[in-house]
Amino acid sequence: MANNGKTGFLAMLQRPSAKYSMLVLLVVGFFSGIFFWGGFNTGMEATNTLEFCIGCHEMRDNVYVEYKKTIHYSNRTGVRAVCSDCHVPKDWTHKMIRKIQASKEVWGKLTGVIDTPEKFEAHRLQLAENEWARMKASDSRECRNCHSFDAMDVEKQKLRGSKMHKIGIAEKKTCIDCHKGIAHRKPKGMKEDEDE
Amino acid sequence: MSKSIVSAAVAGTLLVLAAPAALAAPDWGKVAKRDINVFHAGVAPIEWMTKKSDHSGSAGMRKGESCAGCHEEKGTLNFNFKRLADKEMEPKGAPKTMMFPVSVQAAYDAANLYIRLTFKAPSGGADKGDKDNEVKATVLFADAKVPQADQYGCWQTCHTDARTMPGADEKKTKYTAAGAYELIQWASKGNKVSDGSVTTERKMTGGGTGAKAEASKSGDTYTVTFTRKNPGEGKVVPFGLAIHADNSHGRFHHVSLGYKLGIGADGDVKATKQ
Repeated sequence: MANNGKTGFLAMLQRPSAKYSMLVLLVVGFFSGIFFWGGFNTGMEATNTLEFCIGCHEMRDNVYVEYKKTIHYSNRTGVRAVCSDCHVPKDWTHKMIRKIQASKEVWGKLTGVIDTPEKFEAHRLQLAENEWARMKASDSRECRNCHSFDAMDVEKQKLRGSKMHKIGIAEKKTCIDCHKGIAHRKPKGMKEDEDE
Repeated sequence: MSKSIVSAAVAGTLLVLAAPAALAAPDWGKVAKRDINVFHAGVAPIEWMTKKSDHSGSAGMRKGESCAGCHEEKGTLNFNFKRLADKEMEPKGAPKTMMFPVSVQAAYDAANLYIRLTFKAPSGGADKGDKDNEVKATVLFADAKVPQADQYGCWQTCHTDARTMPGADEKKTKYTAAGAYELIQWASKGNKVSDGSVTTERKMTGGGTGAKAEASKSGDTYTVTFTRKNPGEGKVVPFGLAIHADNSHGRFHHVSLGYKLGIGADGDVKATKQ
């Protein structure tokens, strides 16, 4: 495309190359793409690690301490679900959407919205409700990355779980309908579900 | 005076008192035993039990499930007692023994219903609110007007605003929103029996059961035998047990879930005709 004799970076980008062959441009572009795409995803995966999540004292001192006492942290079989397993979708599209939404937390960090235990406690209900609503809307998608009614043998469960899961299956309930506060303390002042 | 000497003295008194008061009691050697586990429920009144955000099992309760239907399993109770230990549900501190069995036997004749409880009352409680009585044993019988009595047992009398609950009025006793419970209680001091009721409030006297009790202590095992008027052959009566061990009072008891007593009828405990 003609650039009408303009100079500068933008003009250079618009000008067809007279120096490099199409093959060179394609090969360099291909490998650069892999490099940058890989780098991007590696960077994004780094934000999915437990170490990254508890890099901020807001998480380390509050929710992480509670989570460490639960079965998702330590259990008989040695399988651990870390923060992102429950709070970040696995598939790329939903993951990107969630990451963009979560970038709001950076602003929260800068402005100190929950930088003390007292502030965290004051926001606990709202934070939990946000996450419960997200899980409910996705039919507990992140729970179902590991758990499913299909793979569940309710007859092998304790009686209380067995009976409740039979009700849950019959009524097409989703995990988060009942399993609130299993990895962190339940907030005070929880609202009762409207459908009950 | 040391606690053991007091216990021995109490036990001795009981045995002396019990001997002349012997009623035409059943031959307990021929009456089947049913072990019922009693446990410390912490701060878990009926309001907690029926609130989904506190107790997800409330969805099952609304469908007619009983407490025992989900929680009694393989001869024990499947509660997560860690929740008591870390003070989430027992701010004052849990007793060392969260749960223990009470062996229950029942028999009847034309006039009376006899209930015998045999148990070892554990020490190590977090509350010593009753200085007088080392041990108390209570049986509550619900009438037909108590809602869901066959599911919830005594829980319809256990409320968040009743005495010894955190922040509650210390003068407000247990109560039921509808119907009535008969209450019979044996207390170790003076080998005393109470014949009372729970309606809009709990009364420890004025009941209609004509309750009497005999008790003995052998080693660390208590045997308490209640005699009360027979509610009627063929009836199935919802009932629950409470043991106040180690001088505890109020909510610091160990309680049973709700069970059914069949008087010549099917039940969790079947009273044998004499």
